Amino acid sequence: MAEKINVTLKVWRQAQGEKTGRFETYQAADIDTDASFLEMLDIVNEGLTLSGIEPIAFEHDCREGICGCCGAVVNGKTHGSHERTTLCQLHMRKFKNNDQIVIEPFRAKPFTIIKDLIVDRSGLDAIIREGGYVEVKTGNAPEASTTPIQKELAEAAMDAAECIGCGACVAACPNGAAMLFVSAKVSQYALLPQGHPERTRRALDMVNKMDELGFGSCSNEYECAVACPKGIDVKNIARLNREFIKASLMS
Amino acid sequence: MNIMQTVLSSIGQKVLLATTGLIMFLLFLIPHMLGNILFLFGPDLFNSYAAHLHKLVPVVVGIEVLMLVSIIAHMNTGIRIAVANYLSAGKRESLKSTPERSLAARLMPWTGAMIFIFIAKHLFDFTLGVDKMQVELNGHMVDDVYGMVYAYFQNPGNVLFYLLFMVAVGFHLSHALQSALQTYGLYIPREGSKIKLLSKFVAIAMASTFAIIPISALIYFYY
Repeated sequence: MAEKINVTLKVWRQAQGEKTGRFETYQAADIDTDASFLEMLDIVNEGLTLSGIEPIAFEHDCREGICGCCGAVVNGKTHGSHERTTLCQLHMRKFKNNDQIVIEPFRAKPFTIIKDLIVDRSGLDAIIREGGYVEVKTGNAPEASTTPIQKELAEAAMDAAECIGCGACVAACPNGAAMLFVSAKVSQYALLPQGHPERTRRALDMVNKMDELGFGSCSNEYECAVACPKGIDVKNIARLNREFIKASLMS
Repeated sequence: MNIMQTVLSSIGQKVLLATTGLIMFLLFLIPHMLGNILFLFGPDLFNSYAAHLHKLVPVVVGIEVLMLVSIIAHMNTGIRIAVANYLSAGKRESLKSTPERSLAARLMPWTGAMIFIFIAKHLFDFTLGVDKMQVELNGHMVDDVYGMVYAYFQNPGNVLFYLLFMVAVGFHLSHALQSALQTYGLYIPREGSKIKLLSKFVAIAMASTFAIIPISALIYFYY
C-alpha cells in the first residue's frame, strides 16, 4: 500500500550564469511513496511555480534508467542509492516520513553547472567523438556468421556497453576522473574484432581527450564502480590501462 | 604520439609512479628489511654485514643513484597527480565517500610526504650526520653500526618517531602494491581479491619487521 510522506528538501540552487549557488530548503508534502524521485521533484516544482518561485531545473529523459540523462547527488550518494539504479528509478518508498533530503548536482571540474542540478557533461561526448565508433565498409550488410565471436567476449563487451554515460563515476571519484566511463567505451570495442582496426588510436585519443578536458587520473580507489548505476566493473579500467600501455609502445 | 606525451598523460604518469615505487620497493625496501633482521643476531654479524655491504661499492652506489632518481621522479609525479586530481574533483558539498575507499588510499599523499621526511631524518641520523665508532671484528677495524643503532634507540622518543613512520610505510604500501598492479593492467577485483589481501599482508609484515629493531633495542636496554 502506498503511503503519503512529507520530506524536507535541501536543494542546490544556482541560476544560469551564476558563479556559485546555495542550498535552499523546500517542503515536499503528501508525496506518494510510489512516486519516483523525479516525480516528487515534479510535484515540488508545480508548487514552486504556483508560488512564483523558479522551479528546480533537473535533467531527465527516458525515466526508465537507460538514457543517462538524470542524476544528482542525493544524501551524499550519486543517483541517491548505490543499488544500481539511476535517479529516475529511485522511489520515494526508500525515504521515511520527515526525512531531510540533500540534493546536489554531479560535481567535477569538467562538469560546470549550467543551472541548479543540470551540469554540462558534454566532455563525455567529446571523448566519445575521439574514438567511440567503428569504421565499416558500406554496401550490403555482411553475413553475420563471417565473424564468429566467443560468447564470453560478446558478454564482456555487452557488460561494458551497458554504460549510459550518466557521469556518476566522475562525480563519485575523489579525483573527478572519467576512467570508468572511458574504460567502458574502449572495452566494448577492444573486446570485439569489429573494433580492432582503430584499437590503438582509440585508446590513445580517448585518454588524451580525457586529460585535455581536465578529468583527473585514477588512484584505484573504486568509488566509481560503487556509484555506477549499471554495475560497470573496474576490470575495464585494468583493460584500458593495458590498451593504453600497449598502444603507447606500438606507436 | 611521442614518448613525452605518453609519459605525461594521466595513465603514463600513473605507470611512472607505479614503476618508480616498485623499484624502491624491490631494490631498496626489501633488501634493507632483510639486512635489518640481522640486528637480532648480535653485533658481530650485523657489523660484518655492514662492512661487507660497504665493500660492494659499485652495486651500492648504483642502487643509491637509482634510488635518488626514483625518489625524485616518484615525488614529482605523485605531487603532480595529487594536485591535478584535487583540482579536477572540484568542491563537493554533500558527497560522502563509501567504505570502498580505504583509509590507506585516502592518505596516500600524506603518508608519502611522511615517508620522505622520515628518509631525510633517517639518512641524517644513521649515515650522513654521525661519526661512527670503530670496533674490532676478526682482526679488522670496522664501523660499529650495531652500537650506533643500539645507542640511538635507547631514546624512547627516537623509537616512537620510528614506529610512527613505520605505520605510514605500512599504510602507503598496502594501497601502493595493489594499485600499482591495477595500473599495469592486472585486474584487481573490488571484492575477494587475493592480491589485495596479499598487498595488505606484505605491508603489515614489512612495517612490523622494520619495527623489530627499535623495539628489540629498547628491550635489550631495559632488561
